[in-house]
Amino acid sequence: MGLKSSFMVAKRSLWRRKTKNLSAILAVTLGVTLLVGIQITTNTLENAFLTSLLQNEGEVDFSVVNATTGGYLTAADIANISALVPNAVGIMPELTIDVPIMLGSQFDSSVELAGISTDFPEEFGTFYDWKTGDEIDIGDYLTDNTTILLSSKLAENLGLDKDVALPISVTTEFTNLTVSITVDPTTGNYTATPTYNTERVELTVVAIFDSSRPGIGSKYKMIMALEYVQQWRSLQDTTRETNCISSYLIALKTDHFTTEIDEDYLQEQVDLFEESIPEDTYSVESNRLTFFSVAEIVMTLLSTMLTALGLLVMVTGILLITNVQLMSVEDREFQTGVLRAVGENRRGIVQSILIENVFQGILGGMFGLIGGLAFGQAVALYLVELFGTGQHSVQPVVSQEIVILAVIVGVALGIITGILPALRASRVNIVDALRGIKSSFEEKSGRNLALLGILAVITGVIVLLYNGVLNEAYQPIWVSEGWNTLDEWRTILTGAGLLFSGAGIVLSRFISRTKALNITAIALWAAPVFLFAVAMGEWITDITGLATDILIIGVTEILVGSILIVAVNLPPVMNALRNLLVKMKGLKGVGQIAPALISSHKSRSTLTYAIFAVIMTLNVTVAILVPTNLSSVNQTGEDSRGVDLIVSLNKAEAQIANTSYVEELYKLDSHITDVIAFKTYSTTTDYTKFVAVNDPYSSEFNAQTDLLPIGYGEITSDQIRGNATDTYDSDWRYDFYLSSFPDSITQPLESDVSDEELLDMSKQAWDLFFNSSYTMAAYNVSLDALLSEDRDLSDVDLSGLEGYGGNELEGVEVLQDENGNVIENPVVFTDSFILPIGLQIWIPMNMSEYGVPVYQAFTVAGRLDSNRAGGFPLSSFSVGNILSEGDFDFVDFLGKIYLTEYWANQTNFLAEANGKTSTSRASNQYDCFLIKTTYDIEDQELESIAQTIEEFTNTNDDGYRLLASDNFYVASTTLLYSTVESTLEMTERVVSFLQIYVTFGLVIGAVGMAVISVRNVSERKREIGMMRAIGFPKTQVMISVLLELVVLGVIGLVIGIVNGVVISAGFANMQNATMIIPWSDLGVYLGFITLIALSAGAIPGWFASRIPPAEALRYVG
Amino acid sequence: MATKSIQKKHSVTQNEEPILVISGLHKRYSEGKSNEVHAIRGLDLTVRKGDMMAIMGPSGCGKTTLLNMIGHLDRRSEGNIVIDSIDTATLSDGKMTGFRRDKIGFIFQLFNLFPFLSAVENVETPLLLKGMKAGVAREQAKMVLRELGMGDRLYHLPSELSGGQQQRVAVARALITEPAIILGDEPTGDLDSTTSADVMNLFRRINKLNRQTLVLVTHNRWIAEQCDYIVHMTDGKISRVEQGPFTKEETQ
Ligand SMILES: Nc1ncnc2c1ncn2[C@@H]1O[C@H](COP(=O)(O)OP(=O)(O)OP(=O)(O)O)[C@@H](O)[C@H]1O
Ligand SMILES: [Mg+2]
Repeated sequence: MGLKSSFMVAKRSLWRRKTKNLSAILAVTLGVTLLVGIQITTNTLENAFLTSLLQNEGEVDFSVVNATTGGYLTAADIANISALVPNAVGIMPELTIDVPIMLGSQFDSSVELAGISTDFPEEFGTFYDWKTGDEIDIGDYLTDNTTILLSSKLAENLGLDKDVALPISVTTEFTNLTVSITVDPTTGNYTATPTYNTERVELTVVAIFDSSRPGIGSKYKMIMALEYVQQWRSLQDTTRETNCISSYLIALKTDHFTTEIDEDYLQEQVDLFEESIPEDTYSVESNRLTFFSVAEIVMTLLSTMLTALGLLVMVTGILLITNVQLMSVEDREFQTGVLRAVGENRRGIVQSILIENVFQGILGGMFGLIGGLAFGQAVALYLVELFGTGQHSVQPVVSQEIVILAVIVGVALGIITGILPALRASRVNIVDALRGIKSSFEEKSGRNLALLGILAVITGVIVLLYNGVLNEAYQPIWVSEGWNTLDEWRTILTGAGLLFSGAGIVLSRFISRTKALNITAIALWAAPVFLFAVAMGEWITDITGLATDILIIGVTEILVGSILIVAVNLPPVMNALRNLLVKMKGLKGVGQIAPALISSHKSRSTLTYAIFAVIMTLNVTVAILVPTNLSSVNQTGEDSRGVDLIVSLNKAEAQIANTSYVEELYKLDSHITDVIAFKTYSTTTDYTKFVAVNDPYSSEFNAQTDLLPIGYGEITSDQIRGNATDTYDSDWRYDFYLSSFPDSITQPLESDVSDEELLDMSKQAWDLFFNSSYTMAAYNVSLDALLSEDRDLSDVDLSGLEGYGGNELEGVEVLQDENGNVIENPVVFTDSFILPIGLQIWIPMNMSEYGVPVYQAFTVAGRLDSNRAGGFPLSSFSVGNILSEGDFDFVDFLGKIYLTEYWANQTNFLAEANGKTSTSRASNQYDCFLIKTTYDIEDQELESIAQTIEEFTNTNDDGYRLLASDNFYVASTTLLYSTVESTLEMTERVVSFLQIYVTFGLVIGAVGMAVISVRNVSERKREIGMMRAIGFPKTQVMISVLLELVVLGVIGLVIGIVNGVVISAGFANMQNATMIIPWSDLGVYLGFITLIALSAGAIPGWFASRIPPAEALRYVG
Repeated sequence: MATKSIQKKHSVTQNEEPILVISGLHKRYSEGKSNEVHAIRGLDLTVRKGDMMAIMGPSGCGKTTLLNMIGHLDRRSEGNIVIDSIDTATLSDGKMTGFRRDKIGFIFQLFNLFPFLSAVENVETPLLLKGMKAGVAREQAKMVLRELGMGDRLYHLPSELSGGQQQRVAVARALITEPAIILGDEPTGDLDSTTSADVMNLFRRINKLNRQTLVLVTHNRWIAEQCDYIVHMTDGKISRVEQGPFTKEETQ
């Protein structure tokens, strides 16, 4: 019989089995929904993320600056530049300087003040009024050197709203440099003494422009007419030069927000320009290009994560579809037998089933597309709300490919999941089918299978030998070093998976199939379990390379292994359940029936609990993630080393006779027990204060790539050690933890070091830090990985922002000078994640008489723990802040370098090394204060102390401002607990997002159960009739139906809990956190699964129990 | 009137209480619809305790339907059924289920064994439903199966048994609770003559030993003649009752 008869059979069975087909279509729909949803989510996110980044660029495609760092261009350069970019539609000059801004008690220490010409080219866009939405002609407003326009975003940050009455005034400061020249009367030598004064200026805000609107308004925070900014800037020069332009902005097209510029075209234009510029004149910067690549890196990371998770959830969809298909085939095994008996051939049967599946696939694909659109849109919107990527509305991005993909995948799912059941149907033994024997495959393919098994074994062994033998970069598996990196484990897991699967197939020819499969299943499960439960943390201390593929391989093996273990042992397990139930009064009949049903429909049962096993594994892992991280909060009180509150001033405290800020703080609240004052400094623009990561005196030094804008801090012995005399003294004042140590602290940093031991090591490190004669060798480590062009975010551990964690100095070489002597330097500590331990850096110390910094070399010797208590409190950076606020201060993000008192005093930004500069300060002028109180770290009262401090400092002509007779002081306070909380909040947000996917998996599980229970009941009408006939009460019939589902759900849950705990144990080990199992959550899951099972089974079960037995007995299927 | 004649003519159990009294029974399938089938049309029947009765009749005359009515596997349209002096109309569904479990044993036309349970499990299930301890139930089930010559097939699934073997399992399941009435819908339909004879002997033995009542539907005259009397049905009514004894020589 040919295609036509297959068609007929397919058509007839499609029609006759409406409900059964419906479940198959539903299954495909769910699978496709998930796929499309994930795709739309990532596309939308990428778009939203990129838009929010690009918003800052307005219509600017790239900008041209002076090739010398810190140098300026002039008005004359416009001619050259326009000649070099013939494709530009607009060119405009811009001069920016960073200034502080204060409005009442609102303060922003560094705002970009942009000077633009009032008749800038219209290609760059138009400013619109924040309140009215009318066009603003800036020429009407920017008429003098104290008049500015603010962006709505900055206005909001300063606490203004749309109803504010303009004009209002804000205070700023400009630096004024004067040089007095004295002539030595005896020698006749000139001495130039620079004096930096601060000009305090009241600026008038005459209009606020809308910065949420795409265009030029989104680019600027604060604008002034170009000529006036040039005036203010000229104060910084002794020559008072006013013809200064910081960059020429180039627009290659207009309306970037409606149609984004093509990335390749932009790159091409930039390259073209770069090639044609005369040497050492200009250089090109394109934030747009940078944002493109940043978005790409971040999105690749995110979408692999989503896809990995999505794939695992997809697996449940596939399981569901396969299950449904399998049931259809099982269902009509009898009919298939009849068909074969009357002469239909195998091909015909496969064909008719496949035609049916294609039809289901197309329908499912179409419905899935609709579902996916809704799902993707909902998730994308939720995500944007969750991470606050920007206020602009987010449009779900639906590409054409997705539509096609959805249908193709639907059909593919239908066919692929149908092939196995179809083959099974075609292989049906006619006699068995007619007798109603649920047969498995005819064992015809045994030989081929064995061959496949041998092949898998061989491949597995080869893969295992790859480590160390084929690839010398890894150690072989027979030495313990061969097990201590994740890359090695990737090969081990893959090899082991192949080897054990193959071995199982081969073994099954010699020993019983059950035994062979058991061995395979256990081995398959145990290998990744070993990775998670033992190796991670114990042997593998470096997870910086933790890639999604290793996770996927590991988790897949764990899942397959665990599901297989239960599948193979289902009969004995069900027998045990039966023996248990049969002993229970009122459940004896149920016990006789339900477990036997489960083990008799093995594939159906396995597929059903497998769905829950996969979902629950993910769910439990995610559920454990939160409390495990939360446990670090409970630790906060301990980790904060007593500090409850951080106060930072916008600038160094004033020198006031008979008092200090610290003393004033003590007076404010009697609960304050200790105030530790620190000096910090951060710069974004003054490159003479930047740290050099290459020798500034060598010829290879490149100012553009070798200077980093990292902040500084001074740490004195008194601040940390207080009155303590040695490591074991309990009297330390602020013994903060280190996470990386100088190389002379010999204990290897292993993950199972206790907190006490870590603290002792940290104290030893602090002792070394304050020991002025201590030096540490510099190592051959570099920042290249991070700073080079082809940087890869996977080199940086984003999870803990620990950067190069662990034992960095293993396997790196000590640096030697040309005479072969080991280079040893005084040491600095850092909380920056980008500076590896052992790195040699150069810090600008006192100024030479020509105003040029003198660099001193240091070795980065220790890193302050960036996780404990939200990290070292002097850098205001925390993961939570960055991700929640969207835009963040890059300098804060980079962290700080900490110098001892001795070295800090040699600088003119933490002290006044040799004479005053605009940044120098006296030794008693602090700006950051860590406060200890008698309260607990999470006590609400701290809030009111914080408020008191802010009121004291931030009220004009009162409190501290009065004492210092300076209204330009602003204190901002942070509760230490809140920094930890914000990090946690972030974790919870991420988790709640992951939960969406996992929940979707639960929906699939629930649908699976419903489908199964409907089918079970309709298929088993006869059995149910029999049950009733021989005296099963209705309740027991109902319970049998329900129990089967509950048992399957619970099996899945148990597998999920075991797997989830194992996987989480690995992560907890790595993070050195105590794993906390949220039993109550697991209880909720148990309740939830039971509920799903009960509600899925309730209606069919109720119907089943109500069918008159005689009618049920007559049912022939 | 048909009933009365049975009582008079039947000597063996004449003094016994009636265990089953059916009066004015009607069964209509798809009642009120155009395709209504009037399967039982006003049937009266009294069966006394310890009777062994055969029902014969052409295919489709309502034999299976009658048995279903007696076993309360289906609702009747009209009429009364009194079993063991209990008017079953007064019983709730739950009570009826218990009543069925304790008083009635079924052997179906199609064997109707649980396909996913082994022979012995099939047989022990009614005992478990009565609340018997699992171990005891298993022993009893084995015993009965051995008696029926199924000792070497205890753990086979129905699909692994021949038709006759399946029927023996079904018989064992019906007998095991020692019900007051055993309803058999062609219980020997698939059996060869020797096995049929064995089963009938078994029926006769338990009928004598425990005074269990047997109602057997059969198309086989020889089987019917093993019973005390034969009720003939046509078109949903009893048309004739043939009084035994028919047998000349006892097997065994
Ligand atoms: N569920 C039903 N719906 C409609 N009609 C039915 C139904 N069950 C049985 N019938 C009809 O009722 C009549 C009696 O059927 P029943 O099964 O009792 O016959 P029977 O005497 O047992 O026949 P056989 O000897 O062939 O088993 C038949 O005409 C049958 O078609
Ligand atoms: Mg019949």
